[in-house]
Parts: sequence; C-alpha cells; structure tokens
Amino acid sequence: MAAMRSMSRLLTSRALNTTIRRGYAEEMNFTFAAGNQVFYDGKSVKQVDVPSFSGSFGILPKHVPTLAVLKPGVVSVYEEDGGVKKIFVSSGTVTINEDSSVQILAEEAHPIENIDASAARELLTKSQSQLSSAANDQAKAEAEIAIEVSEALVKAAE
Amino acid sequence: MSAWRQAGLNYINYSKISAKLLRQALKSDLKADALKREASHLKVTKWEDGKPIKTSEY
Repeated sequence: MAAMRSMSRLLTSRALNTTIRRGYAEEMNFTFAAGNQVFYDGKSVKQVDVPSFSGSFGILPKHVPTLAVLKPGVVSVYEEDGGVKKIFVSSGTVTINEDSSVQILAEEAHPIENIDASAARELLTKSQSQLSSAANDQAKAEAEIAIEVSEALVKAAE
Repeated sequence: MSAWRQAGLNYINYSKISAKLLRQALKSDLKADALKREASHLKVTKWEDGKPIKTSEY
C-alpha cells in the first residue's frame, strides 16, 4: 500500500484521473465483427470469454489492456439481459483497451448452432488422413492445424 | 514455438486454414453462401505507353 501511495505521487493528475475512470467503469463497450458478419457493434455486455494462444480467458469490465491472438474455439458473450451467446471463431485478434472497450475481429465466425456436428466429424477424419499422407514438413503442419481446428469444431458442435 | 511456425507457416496461413474449415463445417443451407467467400479474384493488366498490353486472371 505504501508503495502504491508513492507510485501515485509520481503520476500526473491527468494520468491519475484516467486510471480512476477506468477503475470505476462498470460496463464494457463490445465490438465483435468477422469477415462474414457483424455480431456486436459498440454494445454493452457483462462478460466475454475468449480462446487465445495465451490461454482461454474471461474479460470483465476493468480488465487490464491486452492484445491476444485468437485460437479456433467458442467465444461466449454474456449479455446485459442475462443471455449467453456462443459464437465459434476461426482466428483473429482480441483487443482490450484502457477505456474498457473490447474488440474482437475474426476471419470467420458463426453461432455454434450453425455448425453441423457430422460435417465437423467428417472434417476431423479427413484431416487425420491428410496428416498420414503428408509428404513434407509444411504439409504435415497444415494437416496438424486442420486437426486442431476440426477437434475444436467437433467439441463446439456437441 | 508451435510446430506450424517451425515448419515455416505464419498466422495468416493458420487463419486461412481455420476459416476454410469453419465454412466447410456449416449446416448445408448456410454452407453454399459461405463457400462463395472462399474464392478470390485478381485481374492484372500490364500497361505500356498508355495502352493495356496483356491481361491475366488469377
């Protein structure tokens, strides 16, 4: 605490105000867009869970500013009215700003109810055979990505 | 470092594979429309002295 006080003495009054404003924000301005559809445009939501390469994490208002790269998986959006929307993202980025606003930009995204479970399982089998017939390192790596994505698709469609 | 990065791929390659698979896993009524986004077209025309010389499509 003493350290915090001496830290705050170093901050200019403007920086201090900014910190306080962020610190007391109770809502977050959420934007979620993909190449195929805009899901949210500056809407206030309670919480967002995202899968990323630095691990899956939940975002609440007042989250520390962060940048992360999305991993294929399900983004859960907890809306103000209590509803939860689950959307599968292929890949993309998530940005959390100092003013508590959050942006998710994905290459392709669809609500999980639009995923066909049997088609997903078929893709998994296909990518597994793609791996066994891969001739070089690059083809092998591509097949491994395909397996990872189809596994996530199968899991999301369950 | 992930295996695909070691094999010389980058996140753009990763993203492309992932988006493609997601489109293929959609329910059939949505799939047709989604697969249209897969195609990309590029038309290159070489110009010389103010006149188009050769057009090639990719």
